[in-house]
Amino acid sequence: MNLNLFDDIDGLVLRERETVLTETDQERKRPVSADATSRFPQNTPLAMAYVPFQQWGETYQHDDALEYGTLFPELNFPFRKGERS
Amino acid sequence: MNEKRKLLNKIRQYDFTLKELNLYLDTHPNCPRALAMFRKYKQIRMNAVNEYVSRYGPLMPEQNNDADHWDWIDDPWPWERS
Repeated sequence: MNLNLFDDIDGLVLRERETVLTETDQERKRPVSADATSRFPQNTPLAMAYVPFQQWGETYQHDDALEYGTLFPELNFPFRKGERS
Repeated sequence: MNEKRKLLNKIRQYDFTLKELNLYLDTHPNCPRALAMFRKYKQIRMNAVNEYVSRYGPLMPEQNNDADHWDWIDDPWPWERS
């Protein structure tokens, strides 16, 4: 095992922290984004909950819709006991 | 399933589709495709309800259609077998 990989771990953490701290909202004095590898857009504030906005697409027939509990295929999430995706 | 129950089930399905479109339109009030689908199902539901009421009696008290008789209380009630 090459332990040298971990030699500069403190330096890495420090540099990451500095990057976050330099990207601050000047008026409110807080970091503007969580981190660079986030799936969210840049400048997404921390500690907020997000819901992707639905776009119009396919719809089920009325009989299937009542059966599935939704009119929209992209919102059909059948949660069954013991099943994992 | 008899004709009465079939028709009532169709109305349930139309109601559900309209409720789903209602919720979608609450957040997308200018979506032309959702508006068009809502209009279409509103019409389909209205036709089905009119047919049900004329054949089997009122689904709601205000659908009483007899000037001389209050048919809202007529048998069978929803929990009774028809």
